[in-house]
Amino acid sequence: MSDMKTDLAIKIENLSVRYTINIDNKITMKNALMRASRGERVKTKVVEAVNNLSLEVKHGTVLGIVGANGAGKSTLMRTIAGILPPTQGRVSVNGKVSTLLALGVGFNQSLSGRDNIILGGLAAGMTLSQISEKTDEIAKFADLPDGFLDVPVRTYSAGMYSRVAFSVAVNISPDILLLDEALSTGDATFKEKSFNRLRELCEQARTILIVSHALSSLNELCDSVLWLHQGRIREIGKPEQVTDNYLKFLNVGKTSTALEDL
Amino acid sequence: MIQVFEPYRKKLPPLRAYFREFWRRREFASQLSIYDDKAEYLDSKLGKVWLVVNPLFLAGIYFLLVSVIQGRNGNTGFSTLCHILIGLFTFYFAQNCISIGAQSITRGSRLILNQAFPRMLLPYSSAHSALRQFLPTMPIYIAIVLIGKLIFPNANLPGLNWNYLLIPLVLISLALTSFGLALFFATLNVYFRDTTKLLNYILRIWLYACPVLWLPEVLTGWHRAFLYVNPLGPALAANSRIWIEGSTPTAAQFVAMFAWALFAMLFGGYFFLTREREFAIRV
Ligand SMILES: Nc1ncnc2c1ncn2[C@@H]1O[C@H](COP(=O)(O)OP(=O)(O)O)[C@@H](O)[C@H]1O
Ligand SMILES: [Mg+2]
Repeated sequence: MSDMKTDLAIKIENLSVRYTINIDNKITMKNALMRASRGERVKTKVVEAVNNLSLEVKHGTVLGIVGANGAGKSTLMRTIAGILPPTQGRVSVNGKVSTLLALGVGFNQSLSGRDNIILGGLAAGMTLSQISEKTDEIAKFADLPDGFLDVPVRTYSAGMYSRVAFSVAVNISPDILLLDEALSTGDATFKEKSFNRLRELCEQARTILIVSHALSSLNELCDSVLWLHQGRIREIGKPEQVTDNYLKFLNVGKTSTALEDL
Repeated sequence: MIQVFEPYRKKLPPLRAYFREFWRRREFASQLSIYDDKAEYLDSKLGKVWLVVNPLFLAGIYFLLVSVIQGRNGNTGFSTLCHILIGLFTFYFAQNCISIGAQSITRGSRLILNQAFPRMLLPYSSAHSALRQFLPTMPIYIAIVLIGKLIFPNANLPGLNWNYLLIPLVLISLALTSFGLALFFATLNVYFRDTTKLLNYILRIWLYACPVLWLPEVLTGWHRAFLYVNPLGPALAANSRIWIEGSTPTAAQFVAMFAWALFAMLFGGYFFLTREREFAIRV
């Protein structure tokens, strides 16, 4: 099936992911028929979000990922999770993947925090009895203010909601955990707690990929950091070194990216 | 457990692995439907009641229309009402299964973008919702029949008989047909976002093409073919035959009903499964 070495959690070979974007506003049968009657074709634009990228991640590594908006970080994470199919190349993943991606899963807003924990666990592939057993533990980890666990999440602050989502993701014992801009939420105490939990996971030889703009947190948590730039690896290596270079790039880049955009 | 993700081609995923995963996660689908309903009717206890009252109300209106058109007569009048009632209840089950299912992929876009799972779980969850709306209407139908039998002792409705045991069979094949159609329309709706709008019109007209407001017997000779080219036709005709006449569905009804179920599942399933990996790019 795959010639993957057993110490690898993730192996990415020459991965490219392309989006074909419709420039026309909405794809409907009505529009399609009207276009066809005028003999026009759909106007599309191709975006190369990840470009011929190869990467190996060993079990038990914490890999940070930085990069400007639109660099392809979320696309890369979704491809590793098996959500987006590659356009070219191949991704092999060894183990159970848990994802906490930027948008949040977003079940109905009228449901309570507890309901979200249960549905979140089920969505992540647990059975009802498994998640029912863990609900209290997860709720305790999320540590919401008194009484909030059982009221609709539409009454939550953004921080409270992401605490719930984060607690589910880290407590369902994934082999590989993918966090996309889900770290820098919550207050200082929760941050401390979530860092401890992530360290615990990686001591159990779990693999963690973290996309974050909080460079100091990445320095603190990661074994190495990858800098993604326009779908390619710009640099990968020691966290301090890469984040430093990235920061320099951002500051210098203020003028140069402005030029690039022209 | 090593998973390998390779470029998307329009072909079926490994079916055994797919359905093993589907089966393992089936609770997600059923719970999703339960929680969806919970969220929907959290604020209004009346919402649940409305689900039953609405078809009853419509059945009443259709009955009035039909009796005005046909002229009426006490005894057949009541069995006509029962035919319309059970027909509507059953048709709405199929309709809900198709229309809720058709929206399931586009409505679940956030879920699709953030979790990897067999996408068929979403329309399957919609089928659960449709079933849970349908089940409470059964005891209501039975109650109405029992009360009606007291009021119209001459009404020629069948009592308890063995043919009732065939009802689950009819409902299962109707459910499979609807589920297959839901898979087709759910996929189509990813490519053309006005599919569900169009589908609403289609379903409204579809009701009149089904043997719900009219009896299957009004079609004679080659006109009967009309009953069988309609995917929901044979099952609804068989359903009415069991409930209203108390007799066994005809062989033709059985064959057509199973054939439609098989065809819809194969066709809808193939269309859906060969394209579901693309959903995340398009939703
Ligand atoms: N669903 C989508 N459809 C079309 N283009 C997309 C989609 N998602 C992302 N892109 C494009 O792909 C590129 C990379 O996006 P993304 O992976 O979200 O970057 P990041 O997470 O690093 O900000 C961007 O140029 C973005 O416009
Ligand atoms: Mg992103």
